[in-house]
Amino acid sequence: MQIAVKNISKDFGKKRSTVHAIKDISLKVEHGEFMGIMGPSGAGKTTLLNMISTNERPDHGQVIIDGLDITQMHDREQAKYRRNKMGFIYQSFELLDSLNVKENVILPLALNRSNKKLIEERFNYMMQLLNIEKLSKRAIDELSLGQRQIVAAARALINSPEILFADEPTGSLDSKSATILLNYMQMINKKEKTTILMATHDAFTASYCSRVVFIKDGVVFSEIVNPGNRDKFFEQIINMQRTIGGGDYFNVSKNY
Amino acid sequence: MYQKIIKRSLSNMRDSYLIYILACSFAIGVFGILLSMGDNPSLHYALRWWDTLIDDITAMMSGLFALCAFVYMIYVGGFFIKQQRNEFLTFEKLGMQRWVIVAIGFIQTVIVQAIAWIIGLIFMFVFQKFMGMLLFYLMQVRLNFEMYIGLQNIGQLFTLFIGSTLILSVINAVKTMRILQKKKRKNSVKTRWRLKIPAGVFGIVLLLTAQVCTLCLFKDMHTVSYSSRPMMEIGYIMGADILGTYLVYYGFLPSVLNIMEKIHSVAYSGINIFSFKYMKERLFQNISILWFVTELSALALALLTFCYFGYQAVHQNYNSAYPFELAANEDTVKVIREELKKNDAKVKGTYKTAVKINLVSYYSKSSQSYIRQPMTFMSYSAYKSLPKRMRKGNSNINSHQFLKIDYKSSVMYGNQEKEHDIEVKNAPMIQSAKVGYSFPYGSSMHFGPMMIVPNKYYQSMPAEVKDTFYGWDFKKGDRLSHSQLQKLNSYRDAYYMKVDFKSSLSRSSIKVMKKEPNKYAASTYTQAGFLRQGSLKKHFKQGGGFYLFIVALYSVALLIALGSVLTLRILLRDDYQSNQLRTLQKIGVEETEVKKIIIRENTLTFLIPIVFALIQSFAAIAMFDFGRHISKNIILIYGGYIVLYALFGLISYKVSWRGVKQKFNL
Repeated sequence: MQIAVKNISKDFGKKRSTVHAIKDISLKVEHGEFMGIMGPSGAGKTTLLNMISTNERPDHGQVIIDGLDITQMHDREQAKYRRNKMGFIYQSFELLDSLNVKENVILPLALNRSNKKLIEERFNYMMQLLNIEKLSKRAIDELSLGQRQIVAAARALINSPEILFADEPTGSLDSKSATILLNYMQMINKKEKTTILMATHDAFTASYCSRVVFIKDGVVFSEIVNPGNRDKFFEQIINMQRTIGGGDYFNVSKNY
Repeated sequence: MYQKIIKRSLSNMRDSYLIYILACSFAIGVFGILLSMGDNPSLHYALRWWDTLIDDITAMMSGLFALCAFVYMIYVGGFFIKQQRNEFLTFEKLGMQRWVIVAIGFIQTVIVQAIAWIIGLIFMFVFQKFMGMLLFYLMQVRLNFEMYIGLQNIGQLFTLFIGSTLILSVINAVKTMRILQKKKRKNSVKTRWRLKIPAGVFGIVLLLTAQVCTLCLFKDMHTVSYSSRPMMEIGYIMGADILGTYLVYYGFLPSVLNIMEKIHSVAYSGINIFSFKYMKERLFQNISILWFVTELSALALALLTFCYFGYQAVHQNYNSAYPFELAANEDTVKVIREELKKNDAKVKGTYKTAVKINLVSYYSKSSQSYIRQPMTFMSYSAYKSLPKRMRKGNSNINSHQFLKIDYKSSVMYGNQEKEHDIEVKNAPMIQSAKVGYSFPYGSSMHFGPMMIVPNKYYQSMPAEVKDTFYGWDFKKGDRLSHSQLQKLNSYRDAYYMKVDFKSSLSRSSIKVMKKEPNKYAASTYTQAGFLRQGSLKKHFKQGGGFYLFIVALYSVALLIALGSVLTLRILLRDDYQSNQLRTLQKIGVEETEVKKIIIRENTLTFLIPIVFALIQSFAAIAMFDFGRHISKNIILIYGGYIVLYALFGLISYKVSWRGVKQKFNL
């Protein structure tokens, strides 16, 4: 087991208007697992992901990664841990507009002051792996949305993170670009043995996972394990969505 | 809903608005104080000698101040509208009518201006007395400064409030309209390196030549009375500094950052990969502002330099004209002693020195002409026995050297060259003499230059006229009454000397006349009977105090304006620039590293203008420093300015980091 989340909770807002985003959630993630977190908007998916990835601190509970309680770490240590062990892909890409593609991709290595040779080697490897060699000198605003997300994925993976966090990675992409990205993520999960935690509300995206945890109103509602057949898994996810949302919660009709 | 939008906008930029409002309030408060001082009865009473001038000076100063403050408000007020660009465009996309958005911009400005005016007027009411007392302290007037604000002043302030607020609000409304009309905005600036690099190199060349020219100016400035060279040099330095600085900002600094960016071993190390580009982007955005601030800082430093040296020059001139509170010669000493006894003056020190007056002839380097005139001679030992302050502006001499003391051709520039070959009637020629401008017993006691000579020379030299000078220092003044002074007025001139110049000095002679000649010929000289500091000292202190007050006020106001412009430029980042910092944090950049970027940004933004301003103000020292050296006091003044400026940098960094951190916690 790589990640153990123990009874974490998080509230937002002031006294009268407090929102309980996460209520006492516990879950475990195995090494090399591709886990999806699903739920309707406002269910707490992003908050949960942010807490596991140290971008937010829980009000209560623990997050233990590789035996280390990261909630007890100082901000600076958390940032270091995040930089060395984790990679991030966001719906809004979070690329730095002032840097070109190459600079964006090598950013995590440059921040770690890795040597120039290693930077070049890893960069070339990632460009080849994700098939985006031609983009390396382009500016960010010259890329399509799909290309931007692949570049964001390259940046997330360049320092071989042990855990990859993806928050709605296909949210801004068309279905073709989304499929390409998800295939890459699956390939990386298998080839590099990278643990992936992905928050999504899209059943098709979630069907690439090995396991999907459903949360609703800040608590774990249910979870489904991929039986090995993606179509069947997709159907199970749709059914669970119907159960949670009473049929139309995720824009899926009862007669699907 | 509109109320909520305005409230939210004001609240979102509260740090920036606070700085702007405080800067405006300070300007409004100072303006109000200056305006109300014009009618203040206690000021009129304290400055009776300057009475007619007070209204004019305060009106002129407050007008100038108001104009500068208004330009500042127009310029800086626009930053806030620019900052709300995305918000305004979103409102339009959501279907809000243009006039409503323009009205929001207008109302926001009205609110901010109203708050600034209210705080400014409170500042004026609270600090008027304090400022007045400070003014009286500087003028050394022992009077109570009465707080006074006339109805006319209130009317003027109210009119100005309405007028300026309306104009500023309309300007900002127009700016809002323009934003809505020009929807597209370039985020990435195209860098034209082919133009920037040569421009930057040319800028460096201009700045370097300006510095070389400044060094020449140090050497040439004293020739300003007869040569056009210094003025040409000043013209070149000003042009080269102003243009050179802009070109360096435009071309050289981005090029340096670009080169550093290309050196991968530096650029790909840590946060540099981002910060070099970020800095470059921010530099591109702020080039004009940095240049503007540099030039105004240089102006502020030049003003301070001018004021310091101007004050020093007038002060020294005053001191060399009136070194003793009372001075007399042997014709008037008896009468003055009697009068002093009558009023029981407390004498602190009495001095007496014998002098010889003889005819001399020499070639004057400063006026570049041959001169023949009477000269007063004093022995070295007599000169040395006088208080040190009498020798302050003179070169140091030993017992074998000669010292020629002459009037300065200008208050500002002293001639420090030696004089040579001075022919003295029936005495050996003086081969070389050091120079000075501090006359013992005061310049007005002498009708021509003075010569300090070795004791032996003095004893052996003949004299056309012999005289003795007397000087007194008192505790709490000479206490001479008005009637005593009227009586002494008839002794103001001791005697007159008519010089009969012949073809050679030995044949020329001086004829002493006790009565005033009916006709003054060019060769008739008057020996003063006595010299008194008296009311002149008060005039000088009051004028000097008022001058210092105004200069200090302007310098502080300029500093606040410049500092706040830079601070606001740093605080008002574009949304996407703030987002980039947030992204860095998200992908694992430590807070301390983001902090480093903010520190670098603040340091560069504040450091670049002050460094260039200091380089430029070096020329101001060359122009005004008649001592041809950088004195301790000017270093202190500059140091003070830099400390206050750095304080702004520190505040800017603190507020800036607070803003970024707030965004991180979102």
